[in-house]
Amino acid sequence: MSNRPLVGALAALVLTASPVLAAEKPIVIGVPVGLSGANSVVAPSVVQAAELAVEEINAAGGVLGRKLALEVADDASGAAGAQKAFDSLIYQKKVDVIIAMETSAARNAGLPAVTKGRVPYIYTSFYEGRSCNKNLFVNGWVPEQQVPPVIDAFKGKGAKTYFLIGSDYAFGRGMLAFTRSYVEKTGGKVVGEEYLPMDGSDWTAIISKLKEAKPDALVTSTAGGAPNVTLTKQLRGAGVSLPYANLAVDEGTAKSMGPDAEGIYLSASYVTGIDSPQNKAFLAAMEKKFGSSLRTPNDLSVPEYEAIYLYKAAVEKAGGTETAKVLAALPTVTATGPRGTIGMSKQHHAPLTMHLGQVQGDGSVKVVGTFKDVDPGEQCPKLD
Amino acid sequence: MPETIPADAFAAAADGRPRLARAAPLVVTVLAAAALWVAPLVLDTFAVNVLTRSMIYAVLAVTVDLLWGFAGILTFGQAAFFGVGAYATAMLLTAQGGAPHWMAAAILLAVAAPVLLGLAVGWLSFYHRSTALYASVISLVVPIVVTQGIYSGGERTGSSSGLVGFDVLPLEIEGFFRLAAFLLVAVTLAAWILVRSDAGRMLVALRDNEARCAYLGLNPRRLQIGLTAALAGVAGLAGFVFANASGVVAPENAGFLFGTELVIWVALGGRGTLIGPVLGTIAIDYLAANLSGDLPFLWQLLLGTAFVAIIILLPGGLAELARRAWGALPRGQRPAFAPRLRAEPSHAAERTEAPLLTVRGLAKSYGSLTVLENIDVTIRAGELVSLVGPNGAGKTTLMRCLSDGTEPFRGAIAVGGVSTTGLTPNRIVALGVGRKFQVASVFESLSVADCLRLARASRAGLSPLARAETLALPQAVLDILRMTGLDAVLAEPARLLSHGQKQALELAMVVALEPRLILLDEPTAGLTKAERTTIGTVLKGLTADLGIAVVLVEHDLDFVREISSRIVVLHQGRLVLDGTVDEVVGSELVRTIYAGGGHD
Amino acid sequence: MIGAKPFAPTRIGTMLLILDILTTAAILFVVAIGLLAVFGVLKIINFAHGAWLTVGAYCAVVTAKLGLNPWAALPLAFAVGAALGGLAELFIIRPLYRRPLDAILATWGLGIVVGQLITLAFGRDVQLTPNLVSGTVDVFGTGYSAYRLVALLAALVVGAAFALVIERTRLGLSARAVIMNETLARSLGLDTARVRLVVFMIGAGLAALAGVLLTPLTSVDPTMGVGWLIGAFMLVMVADTSFLALAAACLVFGAAQVLVSTFVSPVLGGIAVAVLAALVLRISPKGFSRA
Repeated sequence: MSNRPLVGALAALVLTASPVLAAEKPIVIGVPVGLSGANSVVAPSVVQAAELAVEEINAAGGVLGRKLALEVADDASGAAGAQKAFDSLIYQKKVDVIIAMETSAARNAGLPAVTKGRVPYIYTSFYEGRSCNKNLFVNGWVPEQQVPPVIDAFKGKGAKTYFLIGSDYAFGRGMLAFTRSYVEKTGGKVVGEEYLPMDGSDWTAIISKLKEAKPDALVTSTAGGAPNVTLTKQLRGAGVSLPYANLAVDEGTAKSMGPDAEGIYLSASYVTGIDSPQNKAFLAAMEKKFGSSLRTPNDLSVPEYEAIYLYKAAVEKAGGTETAKVLAALPTVTATGPRGTIGMSKQHHAPLTMHLGQVQGDGSVKVVGTFKDVDPGEQCPKLD
Repeated sequence: MPETIPADAFAAAADGRPRLARAAPLVVTVLAAAALWVAPLVLDTFAVNVLTRSMIYAVLAVTVDLLWGFAGILTFGQAAFFGVGAYATAMLLTAQGGAPHWMAAAILLAVAAPVLLGLAVGWLSFYHRSTALYASVISLVVPIVVTQGIYSGGERTGSSSGLVGFDVLPLEIEGFFRLAAFLLVAVTLAAWILVRSDAGRMLVALRDNEARCAYLGLNPRRLQIGLTAALAGVAGLAGFVFANASGVVAPENAGFLFGTELVIWVALGGRGTLIGPVLGTIAIDYLAANLSGDLPFLWQLLLGTAFVAIIILLPGGLAELARRAWGALPRGQRPAFAPRLRAEPSHAAERTEAPLLTVRGLAKSYGSLTVLENIDVTIRAGELVSLVGPNGAGKTTLMRCLSDGTEPFRGAIAVGGVSTTGLTPNRIVALGVGRKFQVASVFESLSVADCLRLARASRAGLSPLARAETLALPQAVLDILRMTGLDAVLAEPARLLSHGQKQALELAMVVALEPRLILLDEPTAGLTKAERTTIGTVLKGLTADLGIAVVLVEHDLDFVREISSRIVVLHQGRLVLDGTVDEVVGSELVRTIYAGGGHD
Repeated sequence: MIGAKPFAPTRIGTMLLILDILTTAAILFVVAIGLLAVFGVLKIINFAHGAWLTVGAYCAVVTAKLGLNPWAALPLAFAVGAALGGLAELFIIRPLYRRPLDAILATWGLGIVVGQLITLAFGRDVQLTPNLVSGTVDVFGTGYSAYRLVALLAALVVGAAFALVIERTRLGLSARAVIMNETLARSLGLDTARVRLVVFMIGAGLAALAGVLLTPLTSVDPTMGVGWLIGAFMLVMVADTSFLALAAACLVFGAAQVLVSTFVSPVLGGIAVAVLAALVLRISPKGFSRA
């Protein structure tokens, strides 16, 4: 996977060098992602999704007659790396747009650069919400969209008391803060809310408190990867078998966790099992393009794929890549992809169809509920 | 600490031609400043942006170099101070906006907060008997605690997302480049002037031999804590510029990984050279911006491997390599710098009949092992008292108790009527006690003249701006230098001296303190006959002419008989005899002890 | 706790608390013991300790991939750790014998290199390993993680074996001699270089062993060792060179960590070991080794 950016660069090179395209300069899409650091697990799947979108669009004649080209840069999953990556993309590679999934720190670090450099930025990751900038659009979910399906389902099963566990960082705290308010608004009660540092690995004391509190249900929102796996392992080791919703787990991680993950509820805007022609076509195309090196598409890579189509629609509507016009067009266009028809129409955020899934014994995720066009709520009232 | 990186090479090289050398920093500074002013007009926007940050990191590298390369304090904590400065700025500007008076407040806060934290960290890291290793580990804990604080700060610190979108100084990209460049040039110039000055020698002295510093009456702890706090302030200022230039702050800016990165940059660039770390940091950070996107994991691997290789094979870093290449060029040999000596009117110790040193009922034990028991001794001005006894009699332990009041002992010791219980060595030195160790304790990487200047530092102070052209020493010290030939090798580094010369240098340093009482532990061990005679003459002169009292631990009984005015015999931790030379030498008891005691 | 009533443990809660303290101390002890051995004899803090932990954990991953019994990872990890430790001592630590601070830095660099090599070989992903022991055991009327009790047992076994080696073998005698006075030991004809090599190998082996023992509690990824480093450093600084003092320190600071996590905040609990140990050292520089 470490040679993925090289493949990307080569692909871009081949595309730009093709004589047919010599007539007009390609539209360059900058993709800063965490090729190293915490996001390096998911970054390759994001790059693959972007590559497929660019290939499909170019095969169909490009955008306004111009081809698309990708520039991938490593943001090292953090702020310092993101500053370098954004500078390099905006000032060195002169990209027309940034479309990427990144950590919140990396996104924030990139915002001054897109503002100064006057480049549109489509952020394709789910996140804790309320990041507002006139150049920034988001097509991933926010707490207002992800949490209600889970809590409603638990409430339907008769759960009244909840215990919340998270990693001590913006996403963990943001998700659980919303969960608490939603639980209390719908008549439930939070009997405990505990956090461990992001790199913490010993959940012992928290698990003992959980056992003491005897809640009806458990909701967790940790940092992805290691803390999530560690917490689940230690919960299962301690014999915790409550209804358990994990706001930070994705299909792939759930699968790799094996028997420990069985029964966990998750809530996502994309699961591979979505039964639509667009999703089936997308999965087949990914399979065909990447074969054995395919990284399973997920809730972070599919929005990347769709965002490129959204950008295409905006450029076509604006009649060019001029930033001001593209920014004006972006909230008004929609694109249909594996997750359905999506537009970033609400305060730079997107209403999304959410799926409630439960992990099965074999590691697969069974969709147990679907919620149409869930509203992202008041994310950036000043931007409307 | 047996770390042997010759940092003096830098100073020595610069000292060669005093007048020209003194102008060198200014000339280089003006050239660098001019080049950096023009640079943003020539460079593309990408390079300007990346270099702005690289230069801010380079400021941090300078502070790491001063701490580690010069003062021997290996620290990973500069990132924490930088982060605190950056966050103080970002948080204040987020809350209050960027009006000029809030901007001024942000600068103050960005410096003051790290300084306070630096004082606390210094207090934790440096105390009498703390080790260098311990200070390093503490410096690792600091960024971890600070980062955790940032994560837990919620809206105020932005938690893991950091802060963005606050008002910053109204400058364009080029303006921030020039601001960062100005800061880097100013900090590097100040550091350069400092390390070339007499006060700069003190940093190296701290690294070389902390104990000797304390026994010269300097307070190593206060110096280390002060240095930590001051450089924390500089790091905080860099944090202020960073927060403004980048418009965003994130927890990793304060993190311990960043702290270790700074050390890696300094090591690769060449510690103890200032310019090496500056260029190393800028080069590596700029390269990383260009390369790491293509080879994320390989880049880290290469950097890690290069770091290990440099540490083992080329401790002086790339600057060392450059220096060797430069040294290979045919150039005129520069004469080494030596100050002119002049005599300082000595403050002759007032002759009083009151006891100078009184020891009452002194006892010391290690666990169940009693080393000293019920020792009573009184010493007056002008006496030369020899302390004799077989190995293990407790002589050296007694000397240690006399010179370090923090040694746990029972009984009372008073110098000039002041109890020394609980006093650290430097405070006992201030009472007028000088101590010479058994193994010559000097500053190996400093020149003879610098060693002597440090010995005068507690009285004369040291200039932080320049090197004094003259060195004023008491006449007695000048006599020692002349007799031992040290006055001819003033510019020589102490590590190149012969064993005898080192002993003489240490004695000269102790005498330069103008003490009332000198404690000497086997000053003649391993010396030639001629050298012994010289030392004997010196000691007799000190006691007879200046009224200084001398306590001497000595095995050579002939030497003792020749010079002592009184002899004290210790045996198995007890004081068995205290009398004139004749009384002791004629004593049956002493003969028995030495016959049975296994004298070497 | 935010908004909830203060946590008041019941009798079962107290039982849980005591078990948590004992098992937490056991895990800290297992993680730190290898570091202690190296610190005592070589007088350096080994920053590559986290890398050895990681290497051990990946031995468990490899064992699982080969389809072997998960327990087979223990001897494998010890052997691999010791072998790599031997190489590191010969080529990196030994040349820096007279530059202890540089030795620290070199071990840090080594840690980076090992971490990146593991990343290149296994990827950055979180690896999962089969549990050595799963399920819970009924202790005084409450279910408790069986594996944590196994970890407690493992700590006792490792501690006993360590004590046996130190007190009863030639190597132990030599090591003690080097700890007390290396110059004297050498002048008495002891091959101190060999003692250093063997002890470093054992230290690395023990760290790798600890890595395997951690796998049922944590995920395995290339940076997993770093999180354990600082706590282990501080425990060893407090314990100085005595393994009994280390056991005491693990109990005291493990208890502090659990109690702070339970009654104040787990976030503070996470840094409790490092901060409290620093304060203890500041107030009583000899740490726990004075007894």
